[in-house]
Amino acid sequence: MVMHPVLMIAIPLLSAFIMPLIKKAHRYFAFSILLLNTALSILLFAKVYNEGALYETIAGFSPPVGIYLAVDNLSALLAFLINIFATINFLTSRQDFRFSMLYLLGVAGATGIVLTGDIFNMFVFFEITAVASYALVASKKDRKATEGAIKYMILGSVGSVFMLVGIAIIYSQLKSLNLYDIAARISSMDTKMMWLSFSFLLTGIGVEAELFPLNGWVPDAYEGAESNISSFLSFGPSKASIYAIARLLIIFSMSRTYELALYLGIVTLLVGELAAFTQKNTKRMLAYSSIGQMGLILIAFSLMDKTSYAIPAAFFIIVSHASAKSALFLLSDKDGFGDMSSKYAGLAGVLSLIGMPPLAGFWGKWYLLMGVADEKIWAVAAIIIFSAVIEAIYFARYLYKNMEGKESSRNSIPAAVMVSISIVMGILPILYNMAGGVLNA
Amino acid sequence: MMWPEYVTVAALISIGLYGVMAKKNLMKIFIAISLMETGVNLLLITIGYIPEGTAPIENGNFVKYVDPLPQALVLTAIVIGLSVTALALTLLIRYHSKTGTLEYRRGMKW
Amino acid sequence: MRKVAAIVIASAFFAILLISFYQIPQSGYSGSEYYYSNPITGSHANESVPSHYISGTKNETGAVNAVTAIVVEYRGFDTLGEVTVLFTAATGVAFLLHKGKGGKKRAEANLILREGSKLVLPFILLAGAYIFIHGHLTPGGGFPGGAVIASGFLLMMLSYPKFFMKEKPVSITESFAGITFAVIGLLGLLFASSFLENFLPLGNAGYLLSAGIIPVIYIAIGFKVGSELSSIADKLKEVQK
Repeated sequence: MVMHPVLMIAIPLLSAFIMPLIKKAHRYFAFSILLLNTALSILLFAKVYNEGALYETIAGFSPPVGIYLAVDNLSALLAFLINIFATINFLTSRQDFRFSMLYLLGVAGATGIVLTGDIFNMFVFFEITAVASYALVASKKDRKATEGAIKYMILGSVGSVFMLVGIAIIYSQLKSLNLYDIAARISSMDTKMMWLSFSFLLTGIGVEAELFPLNGWVPDAYEGAESNISSFLSFGPSKASIYAIARLLIIFSMSRTYELALYLGIVTLLVGELAAFTQKNTKRMLAYSSIGQMGLILIAFSLMDKTSYAIPAAFFIIVSHASAKSALFLLSDKDGFGDMSSKYAGLAGVLSLIGMPPLAGFWGKWYLLMGVADEKIWAVAAIIIFSAVIEAIYFARYLYKNMEGKESSRNSIPAAVMVSISIVMGILPILYNMAGGVLNA
Repeated sequence: MMWPEYVTVAALISIGLYGVMAKKNLMKIFIAISLMETGVNLLLITIGYIPEGTAPIENGNFVKYVDPLPQALVLTAIVIGLSVTALALTLLIRYHSKTGTLEYRRGMKW
Repeated sequence: MRKVAAIVIASAFFAILLISFYQIPQSGYSGSEYYYSNPITGSHANESVPSHYISGTKNETGAVNAVTAIVVEYRGFDTLGEVTVLFTAATGVAFLLHKGKGGKKRAEANLILREGSKLVLPFILLAGAYIFIHGHLTPGGGFPGGAVIASGFLLMMLSYPKFFMKEKPVSITESFAGITFAVIGLLGLLFASSFLENFLPLGNAGYLLSAGIIPVIYIAIGFKVGSELSSIADKLKEVQK
């Protein structure tokens, strides 16, 4: 079969359009579409892994005149992760057909962000995920969810305006919107304009990627939303947007932009972990911890130009965070791990997040520390270890609190499956090589 | 350099930013966001404009056309802005029915 | 305090924006510094992207309106996304708003408004349809056309407090228009080589039946936007107190 990555975006969109016509069977329909998408993403990854980066033109016009999809190993893997977690997470939904539609659209948007090779197209997919997420966060019909959604929406809309200003500045200088065309000709741009467009784009994407000064919405939206939506937010939009930032760093690829990203990552990591340490509320604690992990991923990506460990490190942290944190969010609708599967999911998830071998989280931190050691930036290494210790302390507190609890979440089985993915990926260090040869611009 | 246009763009975006930061009424905040969106749309159009250019619709005799791409982008951006506004209004209706006000709660600040 | 800080930040932002706009060149788009490179082959082109659109639209897409050609053909994928954003918002509005509890009764509009709006409604719908059918020839297209159609229904809502959109036909129209767009894209994958690629004859540029799939897609978009905007307006009206 000829593999077309565009199908992974077009089919969910088409099925979301079909959904109002078949209200009755919406859950099975959406689930089978998500399953199909996961299968497609596996095929896509196999193809990209064997044959190298894959380009698909859309509408038959060669880029940059037309739009195209550019898929490398890392984006194929991320598309796979987003879709498989979406499939598992969807099992926990108990809402009407409009929920399934919004969910499918959100997943399609996140998939689009990682696959597209055009900056304006990326913006459009950002908006699809963002609008779907605003509505999904507000799906719990109480006051907290509404407030969280409004806050998310205010910051998200301002972020999208900033992103558009960044795109406009790039277009005014290069008359092109294609990511790789921009990357090829970026050196002809004035340095000041490069910095301006970079900062506007970083600010815009940073809202979704939960970077430090822009993440005011995170705790409120995560706390207010239904637990499966908090889980969706933590593997979908946030992972797609941190990947978008990685692409952004590659395009601009100035040593100073990498440095800025490194500092931003460090600040985000420290702020997130310290805030999580002081939190009493479980969901807010998990949300702040997510912020910290996003900072860690950004640190990994910011070392991309220096060490070959950076991308595997980022990939493993993404795997660990997407699976374990999503699982913990799923479990967070009740205080306590009553039954076996939620005990297993909670314990393995926490161990992966703090970085116990041989789980995915361990490999992430291990490769990151190797990369940092290669570069001999010991301050960063110290900060990473320090944050891991804080993480260990508050997660120990969290485990202690929850293991006592008698009642257990209804979502324990999907959560257990999610965590198992992190375990499987952790004991397959072959994936190191798979994630290694990525992002060949 | 087209000063009037660019000054308008900068003014619209910064007034919008001021509104988002300073206002407490959520309705006013979303109006401010709409202002920012208008500013960006104007920015895109201005970037694509060429002095004495006409609309890029071919009519046989060659004239100078403006850059058509930003116009297409603005079309997209307008529709996206509209969608966000519609959803925002919906959330505001809900917020109002829950709290009886459109003001920020104190704990909601960041 | 908060206001002072906001004023300071906003004025600093204003200055930054002006400084950055100062550098934007106004020489048009034909300079050699804009010659693009093809990311797949790595080869350099002898023209800039906008001038390719200006010179190539007629031959490559059969449309005379370059903006339409970009919106529907060259960057049709963006437009699919854009339609989806609107669709997402409409779904979200319907998802979040409870079915209207009637609300406060509004007074009937006066006779002139009621009879007048009945009289102009067909013409508004006709104008909307004209705009989206002729998208590839004249300024306009699916989005403005759909908005005009929705404005006709909005007029009816304003003049008749009891006027409401029937949910079922609206949502079916919406769905079918969306399905048409996506299916045309997939047919492009089937009959031509890529998603959304034109597979119909281009015809004579400048005539109504030309430009391949552009009019078909724009008609679908017109229906979709019209039904979505009117359903959003209808939903927001229902909860009005």
